[in-house]
Amino acid sequence: MTETTILAAYGLLVMLTILLQVLGGMQQLSVGYLLSSRDETRTVDGMTARLKRALDNSITAMALFAPAILLLVFLERTSPATLLAAQVFLIARIVYVPVYAFGIPVVRTFVWLAGFAATAILYFLAL
Amino acid sequence: MTPELTVLTLAALLQVVIFVLYAIPANRELGPGYTMSARDREPSNSLSNKTARLGRTMDNTFEALILFGIAATVITLSNQSTGYTTLLSWVFLVARVAYIPAYALGLRPHRSLIWAVGFTATVLMLIAALV
Repeated sequence: MTETTILAAYGLLVMLTILLQVLGGMQQLSVGYLLSSRDETRTVDGMTARLKRALDNSITAMALFAPAILLLVFLERTSPATLLAAQVFLIARIVYVPVYAFGIPVVRTFVWLAGFAATAILYFLAL
Repeated sequence: MTPELTVLTLAALLQVVIFVLYAIPANRELGPGYTMSARDREPSNSLSNKTARLGRTMDNTFEALILFGIAATVITLSNQSTGYTTLLSWVFLVARVAYIPAYALGLRPHRSLIWAVGFTATVLMLIAALV
């Protein structure tokens, strides 16, 4: 497993989160509304709302993680340390989605912190 | 430059296009006084349906661009560009161009189907990068 493989796997994780969130939306908002232009605002609640917030956070995390990996590969600075940090990031982000979906407090924040710190380390290693 | 990167550049320019398509009517409808402010309060004028749709299109285009950006760059950096991944990236771009009028005109269910085409093309590229 290389850093780029981890990045591709993370892309698939985000897409899986999109699909999960759509499934919840189908139940709460009806398929007809989802297929429409959504001109009237309807909100979701419970697990679907948490999945939506988890998705928003995953996209922010991706916007930070992807350039770090691409920089490291481009600069040929990949090392066992960068691989470990990328693995920590991926595992933390995989755990983050169900932890948020089930509304587990505190743990979610620490899991987020692990992914965030791993990304910061990647940038430091790229410098 | 791989064909995937060419498409990625075009997709980024498409983001600029949708930004302009949204920003011009949004400024006309909300008034530059509001859009240039810190937007601490909700605007006193509301967006027309069509402009609000363009705003949602822009958000969705951005999400799709992030995922496609990863797929195209991973394929390029790992030297895995093939005719298959090139085709997928063009399918993505065509779908994302078609998505804009489909959403603005409120075509239903075409908008969702077009979204699914772009989404599937990106998933297949990411899977192609892994195998």
